[in-house]
Amino acid sequence: MADENPVKINYLAALTAGLWRENPTFRLLIGMCPPLAVTTAVKPALTMGLSVIFVLVCSNLAISLMRNLLRPHLRIIMFTLSIATFVTICDLYLRAFQPVMSEILGAYVPLIIVNCIIIFRAEACASKNNVWVSILDGIGTGTGFTIALCIIAGIREILASGSFFGIAVMPRGFVPWAAMQMPVGAFVTLGLLLGLASLLTTKRTS
Amino acid sequence: MFNKIKYFIQQSWLLLVTSFLFGLLIAVADAAWSAKIEQNKTEKLRGLMASLISDANSFELAIQEANVPGDKGQIIKTDIYKALDKQGSCAGFAFVAVGTGFADKIELVVAVDARCEKLFGFNVLSSNETPGFGDKIKSAGFKNQFKGAPAGKLALIKIGDAGKIDEKIVAISGATVTSTGVVNIFNKTVVSVKEQLQNKGLITGDGR
Repeated sequence: MADENPVKINYLAALTAGLWRENPTFRLLIGMCPPLAVTTAVKPALTMGLSVIFVLVCSNLAISLMRNLLRPHLRIIMFTLSIATFVTICDLYLRAFQPVMSEILGAYVPLIIVNCIIIFRAEACASKNNVWVSILDGIGTGTGFTIALCIIAGIREILASGSFFGIAVMPRGFVPWAAMQMPVGAFVTLGLLLGLASLLTTKRTS
Repeated sequence: MFNKIKYFIQQSWLLLVTSFLFGLLIAVADAAWSAKIEQNKTEKLRGLMASLISDANSFELAIQEANVPGDKGQIIKTDIYKALDKQGSCAGFAFVAVGTGFADKIELVVAVDARCEKLFGFNVLSSNETPGFGDKIKSAGFKNQFKGAPAGKLALIKIGDAGKIDEKIVAISGATVTSTGVVNIFNKTVVSVKEQLQNKGLITGDGR
């Protein structure tokens, strides 16, 4: 029993770290392009989040499998190769089966290749841990990122169009805030949420 | 020489093997889904064309890769489709036209009648114009000005009656650059398309 506990804690930590403690958007402030660019509505934000989860899990899995064969000078190119492969597959899937979302997200799906969250998890976790830890880390970090995207998108969608997930939620007579659909809306919402996250963390620490 | 090759393989075999495997994976995914992707593109274009030409029952390619003028003297290749009604007669023509807006390029699906004399209107295929301003080119208020307008040179005006159907198009307030972009697309492409259809003998007296 004494041997099993540390292993269990590692698996749990790998899964939950990305949700809050190491949330890429609210705590680590990495991969900030999608939170600003694809959060005009919840549907595209969710699609982007699920795409990142897929790419994170697959690239973490591939890198973890080859971690003992990686040479220092090949490390980054192998990470990029793995990530680019799964992003391309994800992009093809969206174009085939989610054409509307693919069109809305546009270049931001191929741009997942250069999202530093994925290469960061490949370097910090997948290249040093076994397959299961790497997969759980991918799921946890991706889910944390998706939740962050959906929170920002939810606020912006409600204020910009009076709807949530395409369903009207604001009372009749509500005047949409056009600015929330524009980049300024993304920066303001993200800034306020970062402030809130910082406040919560500070309170918890103190 | 042999040692150099051996060293190269020792250093890069993992990269070569994974490149091959990942390439294979992408090729399989592409082979499996490329037909569906093409089908989606065609369906979207046909859906947009059909919504403009109400009598259209089917579409056939009238001119493949016709040269039409784009921005800055560029020549853009576009397919011109002929819409057929239930009797098989020509119900109009539709094509994709591209121009520059305020934020990015604007792609429109433009439709004209069988004689190429009047516009059926346009649908936006893609645009990244400013939400709340430039993206109002997708609104019925702006688009309806083109329905029934003459298929010739259009003029953009800032103040006027948007409900009056003529060659004058009233610009969207706060989005003059985008409105100009749309009118320029029509002015550059419609006349060129009309000439090419006439040259190919696809527009006759009764438009059939």
